[in-house]
Amino acid sequence: MVAPAVIITAALVVYPLAMGFQMSLESADAAVGGQPRFVGLGNYGDVLRSSTARDAIVHTVIYVALAVTLELTLGLAVAVGLHRAFRGRGIVLAILILPWALPSVVSGVLWRRVFDPDSGLLNSVLQQLHIVSHPHVWLASRGWALTFIALVHVWGVLPLVSLILIAGLQSIPEEIYSASAVDGATPLRQFRHITLPLLRPSIAVALTVGTVWAIKIFDEIYVLNGTALNTRSILMEVYNTTFVNADFAHGTALAFLLTAVTALFAGVYAVTFGRSTT
Amino acid sequence: MTRCPAAQLLRVVVITGIGLWSLAPIGLGVATSLSTQADVQAVPARWLPGHAMLDAYRSLLGGTGDFRAGGTVSESGAFAHAMWNSASVTLMSTLAILCVAISAGYAFARLRFPGRGALFWAIVATTVVPVFTVVIALFGLMADMHLIDRTLGLVLVFVSTTTPLAMWLVCNHVKELPTEPEEAALIDGCTRWQAFWHVVLPQMRSGIAALSAIVMLSVWGEFLIPLLLTSTSASKPVTVLIPEYVGKYTTNYPLLAAAGVLALLPPAVVALVLNRHIRGMLSGSS
Repeated sequence: MVAPAVIITAALVVYPLAMGFQMSLESADAAVGGQPRFVGLGNYGDVLRSSTARDAIVHTVIYVALAVTLELTLGLAVAVGLHRAFRGRGIVLAILILPWALPSVVSGVLWRRVFDPDSGLLNSVLQQLHIVSHPHVWLASRGWALTFIALVHVWGVLPLVSLILIAGLQSIPEEIYSASAVDGATPLRQFRHITLPLLRPSIAVALTVGTVWAIKIFDEIYVLNGTALNTRSILMEVYNTTFVNADFAHGTALAFLLTAVTALFAGVYAVTFGRSTT
Repeated sequence: MTRCPAAQLLRVVVITGIGLWSLAPIGLGVATSLSTQADVQAVPARWLPGHAMLDAYRSLLGGTGDFRAGGTVSESGAFAHAMWNSASVTLMSTLAILCVAISAGYAFARLRFPGRGALFWAIVATTVVPVFTVVIALFGLMADMHLIDRTLGLVLVFVSTTTPLAMWLVCNHVKELPTEPEEAALIDGCTRWQAFWHVVLPQMRSGIAALSAIVMLSVWGEFLIPLLLTSTSASKPVTVLIPEYVGKYTTNYPLLAAAGVLALLPPAVVALVLNRHIRGMLSGSS
């Protein structure tokens, strides 16, 4: 019964991975018909020295930091507000997960009008409130563009993070709260000393999910700002190197670096946070 | 904590916040899709259209020469065809993924065979690999097999990239089911297969509903893979067509919003109808 899954994963994931890894160790001229030459980790070095790839790495780190911070703080607030039963909770939860269900390409399209420099809603509101005097071209400035793209990304991922944290809160026995209340603990102290420590496994999962999703951010950037250099993520740089410049060797090298970092993050979170529970 | 006024206040704030945060962008998209180009270009911004116009949808689906929405889509029927491509790829992939993931997930959860643990983690570990890393190498493989720009090629790739996660979810789900009914069936002389088909599968109904929803949503929303593996309207899904429109009709917001609204309808319906099951499986996946 496991045969189909094993065969499909081996043939269409593991084999191409191995092929890709081999590609990343060979010289770039293989793509243009030349004889591939083994260059070891040379492509990896080239990639790490390239300034566009370095910028992309910095941007991705910013995306991940912004996204994970926002998702975790907002997610905690949502979870604390919603984990107990109340009338209409089902409807609220259904509305909560809606953005997660939508294609990220569509999220990008929905938000585009907000950031438009000429007729954008953000500029319009800020001007009416006299916060800015003239329309800003938000997506042209690196800082704002990264922030807003991260925000659109968070729009789609926050539901998932919130659901994970809600499930975590529901697994904490109610008696601990009532016992500590008898001992005179304030809600804030309860949150600090009961909720947060007992929520650690769920926070670990939420962190992993948030990081793994944010580290491969692509769609939102593509729709909001194209492949512009000021917002390019690592995955976008991989796409550009591989399919626009037809440089498979360097593209796969960068892709494998991204894979390694993703696996590292997942592993570290699993070990550091997972240990406390098992 | 339940009767604490601060907690009550937080709940009200959270509920209002969620409503606005989740629905405002969608509402804005619907409003924009019903606007005219004059509405969206007004300064200060006009949030709601003067009167609702369906022109954007008409030019999107019909490809007529009506310019009131601010331009028109030249390739008549391209959008409808892309919606159809998305739907067929999603349905075929979901069906295939369900078959593969359910049988493997069940076997890993209940059967004992050599190499089980190692095999299971080897498959699950591939979920960490960004799909893109695989697709670069797959591109060559797909080209050799003449599967570029073919629905079948897309389905194959989606099955291989989504099965590990789906299998993991199934395995967790099966482990939570009581084993007694199945054991009783086996003792009564059912074969493993009969017990699986007649006893376990019906027990898994809610899990299967959740899994199909999660898989459908993820395949429908996939952008990068079809961006690379499709080139013509023969197999191009709607998620690839929309960014093309963004490039072509940059500031034609009514048209882009209409495309977005049509593309979000199927996943929104799936998410709302099956949301209880989805929530159960997503939060259980920890």
